[in-house]
Amino acid sequence: MQRILYLIQKEFRQIFRDRAMIAALFAVPFIQLVILGNAITTDVTNVDVMVSDLDRTPMSRHFAERFSTTEYFHLVLMEPDYNALRGHLDNGRAKLAIVIPPHFQRDVITGRTPVIQVLVDGIDGNSAGVALSYLARIAEEHQAQLLQTEPALGRSLREARIIRSEPRFWFNPELESEVYIIPGIVALILLIITVFLTSMGIVREKEIGTLEQLLVTPIRSTQLILGKIIPFSILGFVEITVAMGFIYLLFGIGVEGSLWLLFLESAIFILTTLGVGIFISTISETQQQALFVGWFFMIFAILLSGFFIPIANMPDVIQYLTYLNPLRYFMVILREIYLKGTPLHYLLPETIAMAAFGLMVFSAAVLRYRRIIK
Amino acid sequence: MRRRLFAIIRKEFIHIFRDWRTLMIIILMPILMIVLYGYAITLDMRNIVFGVIDDARTTESRALIEAFSENGFFRPLHREIRRDDMEELFMRRDVHMVLVIPKTLSTDLITRRTATVQLIVDAGDSNVGTFVNNYAAQVLNIHNRRVNDTSPLLFTITPRIFYNPDMNSTHFFVPGLVALILMLISALLTSIAITREKETGTMEQILVSPVHAREIVLGKVLPYVFLGLINASLILISAWILFAVPVRGSLLLLGVLSLVYVFVALSFGLLISTVARTQLIAMFGTLMATILPTIMLSGFIFPIASMPDILQYFAQILPATYFLLIIRAIMLKGVGLAELWPEALILTGMGVLLLFAATRRFRMRLE
Amino acid sequence: MSSEHLRFTGDPALPASEFAVSATDLTKRFGTFTAVDAISFTVRKGEIFGFLGANGAGKTTAIRMFCGLLPPTSGTANVAGYNIRTQSRYIKQTIGYMSQKFSLYEDLTVAQNIEFYGGIYGLTREHIARKTEQLLEELQLQDRRNKLTASLPLGWKQRLALSVSLLHDPSIIFLDEPTGGVDPISRRNFWRIIYEIAGSGKTVFVTTHYMDEAEYCNRLSIMYRGRIIEIGHPGELKERYGLDSMQDIFIHLVGGDIRPENTP
Repeated sequence: MQRILYLIQKEFRQIFRDRAMIAALFAVPFIQLVILGNAITTDVTNVDVMVSDLDRTPMSRHFAERFSTTEYFHLVLMEPDYNALRGHLDNGRAKLAIVIPPHFQRDVITGRTPVIQVLVDGIDGNSAGVALSYLARIAEEHQAQLLQTEPALGRSLREARIIRSEPRFWFNPELESEVYIIPGIVALILLIITVFLTSMGIVREKEIGTLEQLLVTPIRSTQLILGKIIPFSILGFVEITVAMGFIYLLFGIGVEGSLWLLFLESAIFILTTLGVGIFISTISETQQQALFVGWFFMIFAILLSGFFIPIANMPDVIQYLTYLNPLRYFMVILREIYLKGTPLHYLLPETIAMAAFGLMVFSAAVLRYRRIIK
Repeated sequence: MRRRLFAIIRKEFIHIFRDWRTLMIIILMPILMIVLYGYAITLDMRNIVFGVIDDARTTESRALIEAFSENGFFRPLHREIRRDDMEELFMRRDVHMVLVIPKTLSTDLITRRTATVQLIVDAGDSNVGTFVNNYAAQVLNIHNRRVNDTSPLLFTITPRIFYNPDMNSTHFFVPGLVALILMLISALLTSIAITREKETGTMEQILVSPVHAREIVLGKVLPYVFLGLINASLILISAWILFAVPVRGSLLLLGVLSLVYVFVALSFGLLISTVARTQLIAMFGTLMATILPTIMLSGFIFPIASMPDILQYFAQILPATYFLLIIRAIMLKGVGLAELWPEALILTGMGVLLLFAATRRFRMRLE
Repeated sequence: MSSEHLRFTGDPALPASEFAVSATDLTKRFGTFTAVDAISFTVRKGEIFGFLGANGAGKTTAIRMFCGLLPPTSGTANVAGYNIRTQSRYIKQTIGYMSQKFSLYEDLTVAQNIEFYGGIYGLTREHIARKTEQLLEELQLQDRRNKLTASLPLGWKQRLALSVSLLHDPSIIFLDEPTGGVDPISRRNFWRIIYEIAGSGKTVFVTTHYMDEAEYCNRLSIMYRGRIIEIGHPGELKERYGLDSMQDIFIHLVGGDIRPENTP
């Protein structure tokens, strides 16, 4: 036991010796929070739009004006020449062209339901779809307003029966994407810190030869492993605690559910990341290789975790694949506890899956490690 | 000059091919990434499970439920639910949305001509919340149009979609992946190339020989340009085979501009390596400086126009931002240099600037 | 120096062997390559025993087997009376080891390195504190105790590494090319210390490829391609071959072929 304490002390001394390391440990989460928290959003705003008003009547102008006053769209130009629109889409000046047809005003008044054509750059299909739905909403509002100011227009509409919807957004009434993304970052930080520190820490001792020196001492391999993973786990916990503090200060998002449950689940998750870290160290000769392999693992773990791409959207085969990803479970657990305050018994399937994975990965890695250093 | 340069290039190639583990990662990683990311990254939602609380139980309410159930977006939960259960259902993640139909639906429709239903959405994931709400609005629109003989609208909107008529998200993401992967691999490769020599002490050996800083830097970059080009072709071929992403514009132009982009990424890696003391710092720095910004800020997934201003300015200095515009335009729009020259120029300028800075810094260390 | 605290429970019947190290047909193969080929020899207690050979001759592989870092492919050996196959745990408490890399933590201070290794060997806090003072004084490093080990000159690093490997008062110390890359004066000083260590009754097992160092050993074995091709006292060997220096004997024995033909 005393030996483990010395190992832990040594590890902390090495970490805190290196100023760059400390900076990385605390700046990285901060930067990640700020960038990811603000960048990941499918709220589409400021879509570059151009309007081609071929009618030039008060009614058409009135409609066109709507696009210069909304945050959803950014009106880049009024293009009177219909044939020039395609060129503007080609060189990327605008993503959307709204074409108000000739005789628009006349047709509206006579109830002939004119058609406004919208030319769309469909490359970013998702944003285009969202932009189109904004457009539909704006058109709807515009019509409602028209009908109010000029009820005479509504002759043909008098018979229509319309069902409207009124949305209620639970758990996140303002639809802020940070609320969902940011708790996920806690999981990422825990993952990155523990996997990299563990794998690199072990490989570094291999590289500089101190591992060999330790192996000729009477220390047991279990003590050696514990001496590595205890300090890194502690660091992982400090790290997520700091991150949660940042989150509260920067974004005002607190933990809805039990903090203890959150730490318990983190402890279960850490089993996996430590296991992966140890495993990587057993297959790497140099820190460079460890970094490569660790990075490789993380790119896929993060993609398949539902962190920024909802798993439900993925093809079935890939959805099955995500069940093999422990981060997937932790991501759900963390968000549920953070946002909804979901109690443990609704999270049991995820917790059990995560624990099973953790135990498996961890014991396999430790066994492999022990076999290799023997 | 030539002979010395070739000597350095040859040595660099020997390094590359000796470390087969790293070589495998360089070759395999892009292909794996394109396969997994290509299939997995999609923002098209489907199969959103919804529950219904139908207090009306009339023909109209049943028609409405049907309208929600019969399209691809929504899938009904085949179970009666009560108001008190809603919270639990959301916590168990059994449903994403609950449609609440008021008792007065049918009478409202007759007496007031409009009726309002409530959509309760699990908006924990705000994106899902937005999507669900938008889809639901569309479903209602279609439904309203169908049940009314006359158009309920003063005018309608018809979209005509160009370049990617099916709004297929793989067509959007795959070219982006090319940009992402090229950036990561190229910058990583060179960032460790010089640091490694510094660490192992061989750099000193080279420095005492009569080689110019320019030659060393060029000798480091050229082999990786070659490797980057192989990578780019591999990725493009996989994209074409697996996802049938077309190349509508000139393949030659795409090749040339990819080369420019690889050159920018390599120079960037080189600059990092002249600053970093150890391989570890070099790699970590490169990963941090490339992955996060390239995925999050270059427009790879999230539109730049929607970000806060500061991040938008930051996006302007990322090479990937420009290359993304270029590659998507060439592959999907089929446009050429006439439209893309500003981006091409900026990229070239960035490459020259970075290489110049790297050479300067490197020379400074020599003196 | 008392060794009370080194005796730990669970010690099997204490070895009464007069040999510090004895090897019988000890062999190590890596795939088809035989690094150590059936070597047999004994080292008496208190001896300075040298392994002389070119790079890749198998010296390091052999020493790694004695220290319990590598299991032998066949054959066996006893170190301090313990079997290297079955009792490597007891061996580790009784030996010290220092390799050509010195294996200090460069990013820890001098005092922290001593404290760490002392702790790893299970010394008590007071004992570590006492040892630290004593060592720093011996090495005249008092004013550098809180300096990073990385900042020490190579010769001092090497002496510090040696002192650290002696912290737990081992009865046998294995030195694997301890003087690699060190200047001749430091090397001579280093050997002076080795003599002091041997004088205090410890056995010193050292590998080297420096011929002058070979002369300092009490007994010497020359390794070539995994085999021991000659063993004896340096003077005795010179007499036997009628040559003046170990250098000449070595060249005579391996025929000028001091390059290993297949280094692993």
